[in-house]
Amino acid sequence: MAEKQKVPFLEVKDLVVHYTSEGKEIHAVNDVSLTIEKGKTLGLVGETGAGKTTIAKAILRILPEPPAHVDQGQILLEGQNLLELPNTEMQKIRGKRISMIFQDPMTALNPVMRVGEQIAEGIALHEKASKKEAEEKAKHMLEMVGIPGSRYRDYPHQFSGGMKQRVVIAMALACSPDLLLADEPTTALDVTIQAQVLDIIKDLQEKLNTAMVMITHDLGIVAEVCDTVAVVYAGEIVEFGSLEEIFDHPTHPYTLGLFGSLPDINSEVERLSPIAGMPPDPSNLPEGCAFSPRCPYATDACRKKKAALKNIGGTHTCRCSRK
Amino acid sequence: MEKPLIEVKHLKKFFDTPKGTLHAVDDVTFSIGKGKTMGVVGESGCGKSTLGRTIIHLYESTDGQIFFNGEDVTHVGKRKLHELREQMQIIFQDPFASLNPRMTVEETIREPLELSGKYKKNDLMDETQRIMDMVGIDERLRHSYPHELDGGRRQRVGIGRALALNPAFVVCDEPVSALDVSIQAQVLNLLQDLQAQSGVTYMFVTHDLSVVKHISDNICVMYLGQLVETTTSKELFAHPLHPYTKALLSAIPSIDIHNRKKRIILQGEIVSPVEPKPGCRFAARCPYATEKCQEPQQLREVAPGHFVSCCRVEAINS
Amino acid sequence: MAKTATAGAVSKEKVRKKKEGQFSLVMKRLSKNKVAMAGLVIILLLFLVAILSPWIMPYAYDEMNMAERFASPSLKHLCGTDEMGRDIFSRLLYGARASLSLGFLATIISTILGMIIGSIVGYFGGIVDTVVMRLVDILQAIPGILLAIAISACLGNGFTNTVIALSIGGIPMTVRLLRGSIMGVRKMEYLEAAQTINCSSVRIIIKHILPNSISPIIVSVTMGIGNTILMAASLSYIGLGVQPPTPEWGAMLSAARTYMRDYPHMVLFPGIAIALVVLSLNMLGDGLRDALDPKLKQ
Repeated sequence: MAEKQKVPFLEVKDLVVHYTSEGKEIHAVNDVSLTIEKGKTLGLVGETGAGKTTIAKAILRILPEPPAHVDQGQILLEGQNLLELPNTEMQKIRGKRISMIFQDPMTALNPVMRVGEQIAEGIALHEKASKKEAEEKAKHMLEMVGIPGSRYRDYPHQFSGGMKQRVVIAMALACSPDLLLADEPTTALDVTIQAQVLDIIKDLQEKLNTAMVMITHDLGIVAEVCDTVAVVYAGEIVEFGSLEEIFDHPTHPYTLGLFGSLPDINSEVERLSPIAGMPPDPSNLPEGCAFSPRCPYATDACRKKKAALKNIGGTHTCRCSRK
Repeated sequence: MEKPLIEVKHLKKFFDTPKGTLHAVDDVTFSIGKGKTMGVVGESGCGKSTLGRTIIHLYESTDGQIFFNGEDVTHVGKRKLHELREQMQIIFQDPFASLNPRMTVEETIREPLELSGKYKKNDLMDETQRIMDMVGIDERLRHSYPHELDGGRRQRVGIGRALALNPAFVVCDEPVSALDVSIQAQVLNLLQDLQAQSGVTYMFVTHDLSVVKHISDNICVMYLGQLVETTTSKELFAHPLHPYTKALLSAIPSIDIHNRKKRIILQGEIVSPVEPKPGCRFAARCPYATEKCQEPQQLREVAPGHFVSCCRVEAINS
Repeated sequence: MAKTATAGAVSKEKVRKKKEGQFSLVMKRLSKNKVAMAGLVIILLLFLVAILSPWIMPYAYDEMNMAERFASPSLKHLCGTDEMGRDIFSRLLYGARASLSLGFLATIISTILGMIIGSIVGYFGGIVDTVVMRLVDILQAIPGILLAIAISACLGNGFTNTVIALSIGGIPMTVRLLRGSIMGVRKMEYLEAAQTINCSSVRIIIKHILPNSISPIIVSVTMGIGNTILMAASLSYIGLGVQPPTPEWGAMLSAARTYMRDYPHMVLFPGIAIALVVLSLNMLGDGLRDALDPKLKQ
């Protein structure tokens, strides 16, 4: 048990995932490695199709296979490789030790089942609790996310969008998981409701000492809730570091571009400086650095050879040949 | 002061629903100057999209008046409506749903030109080409179908269709909220460039405050169909007066990690705009609400050019 | 991603090139679908047979030969003979004329009428929708065959009257199908966009709504033709519709039912003919629906 300190809580090593669609290979995740410590939050930032959700689904092993296929890599939860576990073992981990919040609260809830029962279902399944105990716990969870326990018997359509997402959070956290995968949990919500929901997530995370992967495209949310940040582009991590390292010293041209594209509420910019061009087609990734076609600093060398992730001080790593 | 291009007075738009009358837009008054951009912000269901659609006559208004170039256009005949529509256009939020999946880029952009009857057959092609260049769509994508384009390009096609006839007024209904950040910036820049070229007036409807701050001259803040605050963009962000505006501004996640601001977390849920009670609709979530808030509120000029609809605005901000 | 090819020529030429392009694109997509192409080939062959039948049939369709009644299939009579000693093969060839034209004409007429009503109802909704749909309900409450019998009995026999009788029964289905499909696209923003650029209602329906809601109709047409052929058969069985001695597959089938136990070949061959039409139309219909869908890659 003495070694345990050295083993990170969750470690993803060299993960490669591809999809097969209409005979084409879509390279969704290309050699991704990351670590998360207990009680900390990692932000996965990137654009649509960058492979963020695929990484999360691979961790939970809920990728539809086929078309998806994990080609290589390890996902180590306290040293145990989840990818090698038999399905029955994995089922015990899902929902109990790792749970996930999806983007759209409207589709994550069963419309013909009472919300309380949906929360209690997971509890009864994983904690072998009696019906009565599960109901008590579910009511408690509802109250933790700010919904009166008296609404246990309501159906999802009787809730507003923000409340539904809070129910989803209550469901995800019902069994006090060690790891929470939050896939754009507030994208479908309004700003003031988003603030409420983020507040609740942060609060519960502290109480339960849960590690969290926050998948988002919104740098503002990252700044609010994350401890470490991984910037994902075309299925690769292009920059990784602590919140301060990334926000104070963004280094990769793509990260810089993201910041330049953002209209900031605190400053006056007449014109935004967007990243030129479009994200690459994941079935036909460019040779060399995937960002090179859009990169203002790209050289011929960038277009030929992919740069490796290099440490540029502290925990800060960056995949760019200029550094 | 110059005559405003669009003036809206006490505009109301109600919908009949099985549950009762939905007050989507309830007594909204504002004006937009020529060549300016009016940002309209608010959360989902606050009636901001309905407001835009009512002004350009996609919906028939329930009550109130709409002026275009000083002329009352609230109720117009078919011919006048056709004329008006060439002057008032809309860019939609969803670049998937707003383009006919069975029409190519060229057909979509050409259609308004064709229908206007202003172009000869030979000129149509050139004009279509000019618009495609203007919104930055590659010549080679001319015969592509919407599903073959990415979101940003699709939105460019939508912009091209809206600006084809050189309208004076365009409602931009969340034109960038479905796009990725890097693409969003491209489209925002395009909209600004087009405005600089043609002097078009925008009404920019969005829920994204940083976008609205970036692009607007003036801003209206709406809550459940009511206009709660309106002033210049600078003034609004520097001195928000209405408690809802304050909460809204504080809720935006900021990328500034060193100067964290204090968040106002609102309690309570949004009330339904169906058969609402008179009075301030924000009162249910407002930390400063008193009995007086249950009475109908007036939009008042509290500072020069700064209008707020809150009876307690002085008490809160002193 | 597949992008439509572009031509680098002068603008005027491009218009023409493109129009061809769209049609040939659909054909190209269709030609890649082997099943659909097989369906198309069979249909075309059947039409060819129908047209050429007077010249290619070995016997006249009404030539009776009492000496050879109920003959089993042989080299002399490929499909055997019927109760009057008529050559079934010849009758099938010639009967393709009546059966195919009845099936196609009646279905196409009912589909066109149904589409007009369906799109008006679907687009305008409200009171128009309520009234028309109740009428459609009434029409649909009467079993199709009874309706066809009733109309046929009123109008009398003959080809044209049979077509009319058969088409009316098919209208409610098309109306319902199209209305449902239009409801699905009615809320789409591109219809609002069409309104803002001053499209007339007729143009909106034809250019923006129909192309996006028509695929279920295409499938239903291909199924409908087979049904109509069978319905026409029932009509002739009870003495309405197309009358003997003009051969018609359905009529042949019904006539043969009496002798089915002893001479199965009499039902078998008309049955195969009808099944062949229905099958090939279904194959073609599925392929056509996919080929017309621009969302399909390549």
